[in-house]
Amino acid sequence: MNNHSDSQPAKRSDDEFFSGYSRLPKGIKRFLLKFIPLLFVGVVLFGIFVPRVHDQFNPGKFSRGQFEGLLVGEPVPHLLVPRKGKIESGSQFSRYLLSGFSKSSVPAKVTDQIGKWVQIKGAAVHRNNLTVVATGGAKPIERPAGAPLQPEPGVPLGEFSLKGEILDGKCYPGVMKPGQGKTHRACAIRCISGGVPAVFLSHNEQGDPLYFLLADSNGKSVSKQVLDLVADPIQITGQVTQYGDLFLIKADPSTYQRL
Amino acid sequence: MSVAYKSIQWNRTKIIYDLLLFAAIGIYLFLFTYSAKLVSPDLEMRGLDIRAFGSAAFILLHVILSIGPLCRFDRRFLPLLYNRRHMGVTMFFLGLIHVIGFNLSDIPVLSNIPYKADGALYWYHDFGNVEPIVSLFAGNTHYGSLVRFPFETLGVIGLAILFLMAITSHDFWLANLTAPIWKALHMSVYVAYAALVGHVTLGAIQTNRHPFLTIAVGLGLVWITVIHLLAALQERRRDRAVAPPATATDHYVDIGSINEIPDTRAKIVTIAGERVAIFKYDGKIAAISNVCQHQNGPLGEGKVIDGCVTCPWHGYQYLPETGASPPPFIESVPTFNVQLRDDRIFVSTIPNPPGTETIPARIYPDADGAQSYE
Repeated sequence: MNNHSDSQPAKRSDDEFFSGYSRLPKGIKRFLLKFIPLLFVGVVLFGIFVPRVHDQFNPGKFSRGQFEGLLVGEPVPHLLVPRKGKIESGSQFSRYLLSGFSKSSVPAKVTDQIGKWVQIKGAAVHRNNLTVVATGGAKPIERPAGAPLQPEPGVPLGEFSLKGEILDGKCYPGVMKPGQGKTHRACAIRCISGGVPAVFLSHNEQGDPLYFLLADSNGKSVSKQVLDLVADPIQITGQVTQYGDLFLIKADPSTYQRL
Repeated sequence: MSVAYKSIQWNRTKIIYDLLLFAAIGIYLFLFTYSAKLVSPDLEMRGLDIRAFGSAAFILLHVILSIGPLCRFDRRFLPLLYNRRHMGVTMFFLGLIHVIGFNLSDIPVLSNIPYKADGALYWYHDFGNVEPIVSLFAGNTHYGSLVRFPFETLGVIGLAILFLMAITSHDFWLANLTAPIWKALHMSVYVAYAALVGHVTLGAIQTNRHPFLTIAVGLGLVWITVIHLLAALQERRRDRAVAPPATATDHYVDIGSINEIPDTRAKIVTIAGERVAIFKYDGKIAAISNVCQHQNGPLGEGKVIDGCVTCPWHGYQYLPETGASPPPFIESVPTFNVQLRDDRIFVSTIPNPPGTETIPARIYPDADGAQSYE
């Protein structure tokens, strides 16, 4: 048998007793009138600060638009849109990746036009210099007056070992937050397996994002072979070619290393 | 305390409680949205709703888990415990909206209010080449790795437990499952908490390494762990408090003097491994089990009101002489025979079956009411 130490005679203030169906005793009420506002202060502070620490997203809204350019199929379908204005340095083209709506590849109506100048209507999203246009069709057009006859060849930059992450080319610039990393892995896998181009995100020494299209040694798309590596930190060693502000890295997917 | 089950037995306290709860959640969700829009005015908010509801649920879970230990430290927190189940059910719905979303237009009377929050299942897993629910589990299957562990599954485990708790939260289930089973089921909230800490740590924190998130979740875990340990230590210290030598005579033990017990209050002692509450009221001493039949509340920390021992948790009442709730209520707890020898209280070590009438020991046995022992 043991005694309980709190069984000493209660102080007068301790004698107040709360039961749900009667009014709050004064002392308890006084206490709660101090404590509950404190909880509300916590609610306000959390409500203000928690969303401010989510720093991995961009505004990411789709904007409908019409684009005219040269449709290219390798390694993934993309549109080369002639740049307007002065282009003393850099590429003559902007390069927009193409996907279908939802988590899908561009339909045959688009890929049938590869190699031609086309007009595309669709929804575009961009993040930094990575742009993707979701579209359902492509209408052949004449080459616009003044447009370059053909794209300039890529510039081989040599072999590089790059650390980064494979993400899908649509959600990352799009409406997903963060659109990368483990929390977005399942979504990115669905996108890439559905035919949205996979993109490799790496950073230069200054911390600027660099985007790479992935191709195997023969320059063919590797999207479906890299699903299990999506969103993981990996290292790719391969030959890098620069096309304007977009890069291509050629390497056998079996040589990708998880870090 | 009811013989007929109603969905909720509303009273003034519960209404105020729920209004404060919903106001706090409303303020949090509003500020979350407003504050995020300050980051970028044209931000696509639908993906952020997932975070708003998920974080609201996680923060509320910390409040829920804090109430129990706080009540052990200071009884003035007890009004927060009174309606804690509404907090739990609300928290489950916040978690559910985090997953499946919410559209006010689905509720007939509220269909004019344009409010919609998309859940993670729709936002991340829909529109692909498999069903969203398949994507949820197939997106990551690296259960053998801590760093790559599928945080989604941990969230599903947490939500499944909260669902079981929410659907069994009503007193109907408490009575039909019996208090010990119900209590055990509802203790699994700690499994849910562990799963959800894992869900947040291996999900949001692993992806977004802002120190505030990591520190906040870490401090939350430390806070919950420390207050539970301190409360457990305090309980243990009380159980181990030095007792007067046990003088078992005819199965009766000396539990102390009548002067130790304030009027209408009790002294709790552990007799043969069970806590017994010995009440002093109306010049009498009577002993009943310390364990309320409703939710195992500590009756000995209650008070005799209108002639009934009243549980400090939810106000369930028992007559001290019989251990039975006054009619029409049907709950009853074991009673213990009591004797007074001078000013010493002796309690039988053998409990009577629940509801057994006992004769309370009288402090003032003299006809003229003269105080005999005080």
